[in-house]
Amino acid sequence: METPAAPRRRALPFLFAFASGGILTLMAHKNGTLGHFGGPFFASWMAHGAGTVAAILLLAVLFRRGEGKALKGRAPLWAYFGGFSGALTVIFTAKAVNSPLALSGTLALGLAGQVVFSLAADKWGLFGLAKRRLSLKDAASLGLIGLGSALIILFGRAGL
Amino acid sequence: MMLAALFAFSAGLLISLSRQINGRLSLSTSPLVASFWNHVVGLALLTAIGLVIGGIFPPGAEEAPWWAYFGGPLGVIFVASGSWLIVRIGATNTALLVIGGQMVTGIVLDLLSGQKPVLWASALGVLMIISGVWISQKRN
Repeated sequence: METPAAPRRRALPFLFAFASGGILTLMAHKNGTLGHFGGPFFASWMAHGAGTVAAILLLAVLFRRGEGKALKGRAPLWAYFGGFSGALTVIFTAKAVNSPLALSGTLALGLAGQVVFSLAADKWGLFGLAKRRLSLKDAASLGLIGLGSALIILFGRAGL
Repeated sequence: MMLAALFAFSAGLLISLSRQINGRLSLSTSPLVASFWNHVVGLALLTAIGLVIGGIFPPGAEEAPWWAYFGGPLGVIFVASGSWLIVRIGATNTALLVIGGQMVTGIVLDLLSGQKPVLWASALGVLMIISGVWISQKRN
């Protein structure tokens, strides 16, 4: 990989974000397999349990290397409850998938929900994160990615 | 149907909400610590729900292959990366780029597992996503 020069330094997180979508695909494939055998609730419960163990092991290794430089002071109590929202997502998704919407409809509407929330979150700096104005370039790129994803979800993937 | 649509749309809202909240926690701790809390708290809630309505361990669950249990550890990395990303490129950029990556790799996974995607839609979709990613990282 080329070393990012100063003006291109911002490129890296965008490529990381794209790559982390690949982690999500692998994760969904494995959790989907768990769900095939034990249902979506068992899959989510087990994924959270195995994830908790993995996080403890990772932290035990990394803390010695000085992982954990905080950028801000104490977090508010609500900041510890992001996991509630994640756990509920599984239940909501399972309900939607087992309806006439099926997986493609569920994913398409889920995409819309993510876009609506994150646009609002950036505009007003919700939950203690910075406000951000989308540049014209951002909007063009996001439009292309959103439409391309909708195309794949609604018409492209055989398995859906 | 309306109720199902509401569930599906809300699931999307919740995904972004948890990334926003975990991102805030990571500012005071670290992305990995935020991911740890995300998993512990989620596990506690799901355990409580499971104890009330039952069915945490349905019959047949133990027959899942060993590699299926690696979804959780991958989730730890995924949630940590989300917290790292959202404070750097914002909620909308993070959400869309992650979805784009998920779509493209999902098609690759389909191809590898012998499922044929619908060619015109997948090819056009992948092309649009790659162009979008190209534009997003191409900064002055």
